[in-house]
Amino acid sequence: MTAPAAAVVLTGIGKRFPGVVANHDVDVSIRPGTVHALIGENGAGKSTLMKILYGVQAPDDGTITVDGETVTFSSPTDAIARGIGMVFQHFMLADNLTVLENVVLGAEKLHGIGGGARREIRAISERFGFGLDPDVLVETLGVAARQRIEILKVLYRGARIIILDEPTAVLVPQEVDALFENLRVLVAAGNSVLFISHKLDEVLAISDDITVMRRGTTVGTADPATATRLQLAELMIGEELPSPETTESTVTDVAQLQLKGVSVFASDGREVLQGIDLTIHRGEVLGIAGVEGNGQAELVEAVMGMRTLSGGTIHLGTEDISGWSNRRVREAGVGYVPEDRHRHGLLLDAPLWENRILGHQTRKPNVRGLFVDRKGARRDTDRIVGSYDVRTPSIDTTARALSGGNQQKLIVGREMSGDPVLLIAAHPTRGVDVGAQAAIWDHVRTARHEGLAVLLISADLDELIGLSDRIEVILRGRLVGEFDPRRVTAQELGSAMTGGGEAA
Amino acid sequence: MSTTTTTPRSDSRIRTFQHAWLLLALVAVVTVALVRVVTGADQLTATGTLRAMILSACPILLAALGGLWAERAGVVNIGLEGQMLLGTWGAAFLAYHAGPYAGVLGAAAMGLLGALLHAVATVTFGVDHIVSGVAVNIIGLGAIGFLAKAYFNDLEGGGPRNLSGYQTLPRVTVPGVSDGAAWLADRHVFGISDVAALVAAATTGVSLLTVLVVVLVAASAYILWRTPFGLRLRSCGEAPEAAETLGVNVIRYKYVAVLVSGALAGLGGAYLTMVSSSSFTVGQTNGTGYIGLAAMIFGNWRPGGIVTASLMFGYTDGVSLLPSGGIVVHALLLLITLVLAALALWRLRQGNLRSALTIGVIAVAVLVWYLSTDSVPRAFVGMTPYVITLFVLAVASQRLRMPAADGKPYRKGQAG
Repeated sequence: MTAPAAAVVLTGIGKRFPGVVANHDVDVSIRPGTVHALIGENGAGKSTLMKILYGVQAPDDGTITVDGETVTFSSPTDAIARGIGMVFQHFMLADNLTVLENVVLGAEKLHGIGGGARREIRAISERFGFGLDPDVLVETLGVAARQRIEILKVLYRGARIIILDEPTAVLVPQEVDALFENLRVLVAAGNSVLFISHKLDEVLAISDDITVMRRGTTVGTADPATATRLQLAELMIGEELPSPETTESTVTDVAQLQLKGVSVFASDGREVLQGIDLTIHRGEVLGIAGVEGNGQAELVEAVMGMRTLSGGTIHLGTEDISGWSNRRVREAGVGYVPEDRHRHGLLLDAPLWENRILGHQTRKPNVRGLFVDRKGARRDTDRIVGSYDVRTPSIDTTARALSGGNQQKLIVGREMSGDPVLLIAAHPTRGVDVGAQAAIWDHVRTARHEGLAVLLISADLDELIGLSDRIEVILRGRLVGEFDPRRVTAQELGSAMTGGGEAA
Repeated sequence: MSTTTTTPRSDSRIRTFQHAWLLLALVAVVTVALVRVVTGADQLTATGTLRAMILSACPILLAALGGLWAERAGVVNIGLEGQMLLGTWGAAFLAYHAGPYAGVLGAAAMGLLGALLHAVATVTFGVDHIVSGVAVNIIGLGAIGFLAKAYFNDLEGGGPRNLSGYQTLPRVTVPGVSDGAAWLADRHVFGISDVAALVAAATTGVSLLTVLVVVLVAASAYILWRTPFGLRLRSCGEAPEAAETLGVNVIRYKYVAVLVSGALAGLGGAYLTMVSSSSFTVGQTNGTGYIGLAAMIFGNWRPGGIVTASLMFGYTDGVSLLPSGGIVVHALLLLITLVLAALALWRLRQGNLRSALTIGVIAVAVLVWYLSTDSVPRAFVGMTPYVITLFVLAVASQRLRMPAADGKPYRKGQAG
């Protein structure tokens, strides 16, 4: 017998969906009072496993043991009762409710919904240094605070085993440090944390144990004290980690996109962009770093003709495109990889070849005269699927059936077709697995070499630093500093993004 | 024992909020009194006018309250009109055979039945809420047409499309207050008489159903905002996936909300057949359900706002039925001018020049209309409630905040 009984043991877990085996023979053992990292590519089966552990889905095979007792969960309520809490990657919060209301929802019996609950929330918030006011509306809070609400929600229910699904994906480095600080306090108090991630540096920094998943099953464990990034990466994908680094500069001095004094008002009268001046040359990748919600989305939409400018001009090459419609901007040779591919980039229930036509519905090879050229569109979709390595059974498959990485490769392929002169890429590799990420980076690099100008917006600072020729930091709708990616560190960028330091 | 500690911040916020409401009410009374004195149209705040307002406002308020329940749980219930229609028949049928109290219950039950149809379609089968709601409206009208013909035709006082001769609910008068307020109202003292007229209207010959409306509004506000049940229900309208991950049975709450919504709309129907009038006619809701929906939107999905909006719509609706309607609506033109002018100034201060100018021009036009005429044509008087509805929604819509997941289909197991 080993000394401390494991907090949670998963043995031989299997889960099949029609046509897919999501999990098989999964074995994970989490010790109490530790941070246990679960790593693996997208589609490796981490999320399914978590849903099984949290009772959202029931396993087909295998057993779950909590504190030495075998349990079966038929709903999250059962898991919560066993002290298991989950923080989803996409936060599960109601914006229009207060912190208090979000926390007590579903657990009203514990401390009521009034003063008792308020006291308890204050107490937890103080104990772990969360700094949350229970009476604030969630919509007024930033991403990091929302994440702390999610963790608080779980603690409020008395959870001792906390599952965090890719918690750092939306945070800047300083916020990640703060989160890790919170996690260390949590673990020191005897709780266990299951930390799901594919950011290997973070995994090595925070975890006590590591379990690696690949293709639906656990393929090994590692000791963070001795393991290296490389070893973990090899375990994860069986090959070396790709890097976003670009080699030599291809920047020319021909300006491809020029913004002068661009300002935009939001519908509530706030000025979300104030006097933006920026220039991107042919063959240049300009990275925009910033905490989400500081005007990146508005900047992209302004260039794409989706928002009315309240001031300033936008030139594409020599033409003034301010006030042009979105279609005209696209026809002038601007490709656009949207921030949220489900909301803006794809018709999820339409086949791939129809998705190929989106945004190119006035251009060859998709149309002939007034009519859609099915044959042309299908042929070109085949080309994209081939050269961008979109893994799909056929081009008649609906976009929904593809994994996030393959959806994104299809979008990148579509936006690169028709020889664009400018590519606007908002978070092009968000939620994309390592393999697809490398492929997307390669395509951007190749196109840049051929003279494409790229406006890159990303929350992944490594991606920004590796891919950009120049980085601008955006804060509260203004560009507040320019950095040379060859010299800047993620820490420096992070501090500029939060307004902590002045630009060099 | 620990004492309750509330932060000074949230405390003062609540106080500011209450002060704002008091101030707003005071400004409203002074403005209305001013318009009354300037125009000389004493009917503007006469007890009779305000009684008409209450009579018209209550069914609107019931429909709006029903809308509130459903939409707070994320279901758009455009079928309120149809559920009200069913309620009118249920009220008449049971009131005729089993007395007025049974009539009230019958109306709620019939409304509930209509809502059940809507709930099954939207919540269980994921049918588009508007499509289902419109279907409920059409079915409601068709059903009561058929039911009236089948059950009322052979009754004494009945016909193929109408029924009268049943007992209605008793009315109550608050002794002392009623007479005193009426006396004060007749003195035409600036401001005071206007308020007194409202008190008189609300304490003289008030139907029990009106009292029930007040109770239902207060109860709904308390249940939806002060109880765990209400929090869960609202969470289904704001973030159903989040609610699901926390163990809330979203489907069940949506069902409860829609059924309550239908019952309230049904009571609205009872109000029309038993208080506003004493007879049943097929189609007597005349769009009240839709106005209720508009009142709910204008009331920003909040009880206080809904009451205000319903009273406003009720006032214009009630006035349009009075013999003095033309004169009152004419006086209202001045009031509208003042409100518009204030709105234009406010927009100007916000720096929204174009909007300020547009509203300013409309204000001047209304003022010119007021100055150049003595009365408003009958046809326009009847139109007033609808014009006001449209206008108010056009001006206010940008500041409204609907539940985040309102009208969106929800499927279990989507979380994560």
